[in-house]
Amino acid sequence: MDSQYKSAGIENGVTNDRVKEVAVGKKRKMRGRDLVLRFLALAFSLAAAVVLGVDKQSTTVAVTLVSSLPPVNIPATATWHHLSAFVYFVVANAIACAYAAISLLLTLGNRGGKKGLVTMIVVFDLVMVALLFSSVGAVGAIGLMGYQGNSHVQWKKVCNVFDKFCNQGMVAVGLSGVASISFFLLVVLAT
Amino acid sequence: MASIETQYPAMEKAAHDHAVAPPSPSKHLILADVVLRFFLFASGVVAVVVMVTSNQTEIVRLPFPPFPLAHVPAKFRYSPAFVYFVVALSVAGLYGIITTLVSLYALLKPSCSTKVLYHFVIFDVLLLGIVAAATGAGGAVGYVGLRGNSHVGWREVCHEYNKYCKHIAGSLVVSLFGSIVLVLLVLLSVYSLSKRIPKY
Repeated sequence: MDSQYKSAGIENGVTNDRVKEVAVGKKRKMRGRDLVLRFLALAFSLAAAVVLGVDKQSTTVAVTLVSSLPPVNIPATATWHHLSAFVYFVVANAIACAYAAISLLLTLGNRGGKKGLVTMIVVFDLVMVALLFSSVGAVGAIGLMGYQGNSHVQWKKVCNVFDKFCNQGMVAVGLSGVASISFFLLVVLAT
Repeated sequence: MASIETQYPAMEKAAHDHAVAPPSPSKHLILADVVLRFFLFASGVVAVVVMVTSNQTEIVRLPFPPFPLAHVPAKFRYSPAFVYFVVALSVAGLYGIITTLVSLYALLKPSCSTKVLYHFVIFDVLLLGIVAAATGAGGAVGYVGLRGNSHVGWREVCHEYNKYCKHIAGSLVVSLFGSIVLVLLVLLSVYSLSKRIPKY
């Protein structure tokens, strides 16, 4: 019984050493991947926020006021702050971008591998996953409404008029989707 | 030998845990895991039921002449965002009940739980993304329904369909709770996994 325990302990020590070596090598590789993913998240969320933030289109819409008169052309502008979902999207992507920059610096500075800091970064990565996915969902739903309209509540589609605006919004959704996937991979690889 | 084992089962177990790392996770963590997963299941089911029962038929004045008053129903099925919401929350509820059972199994047999926990983390984060996107989509459409939007001419509908809107708001709150539960679940898994990694 005793010998059994001893041998188990020795074996355990050996495997511990091996685990240590493997873990250090793995850690170095993981750190490079981590930095690349963080940089991707930073770039794509910045791009998403900027693409939707500069999204603006002015056209003229033909409106029939009185049916006997010819339609009147009214100038109309679509910008991102007209819809609260777009405002949420831009703010969420700006927050994610700022956080990605801060966490990139923290990861670069954290050479000792402090455990508390790593755990904090995982927690905030998780919050960013939730934030970015919800903003993508919100703008996706509103954008779909803009493309198709909703006949049941008589919400007309607007993307036949503001075509450039809608396409640019969808590009922003795609960019933000890539950013949220890279945050997702960050959380998954960190565990 | 048998008598020793029966005499000191606790000591035996402790020595075993010390000698053969990794130590088994404490029961509290797995119990918390089971409870949180059950909450996830419950919030998925409640959100889906509340959303599906939100049908309301109202007499509405239509803007075009032939039928000025009409019975117009409001259903969740009319908006693709709400359909996505129902599907996502059903998936979350199903995942919740399955993983509750698996987690209960891990509570009874702690030997295999590291691998199980690792797989749970990936799916938990994925589910968090899906549920958060559903909450965002439903919230955005619900907000337009509540306030309307004068810039694109989408009128508000919640003053006519107040029961419908109340159901949707309740369902959104429950799904927000579900996504918070998912965040806590991932944190719990990360915490219990990080305790098991040998320190160096």
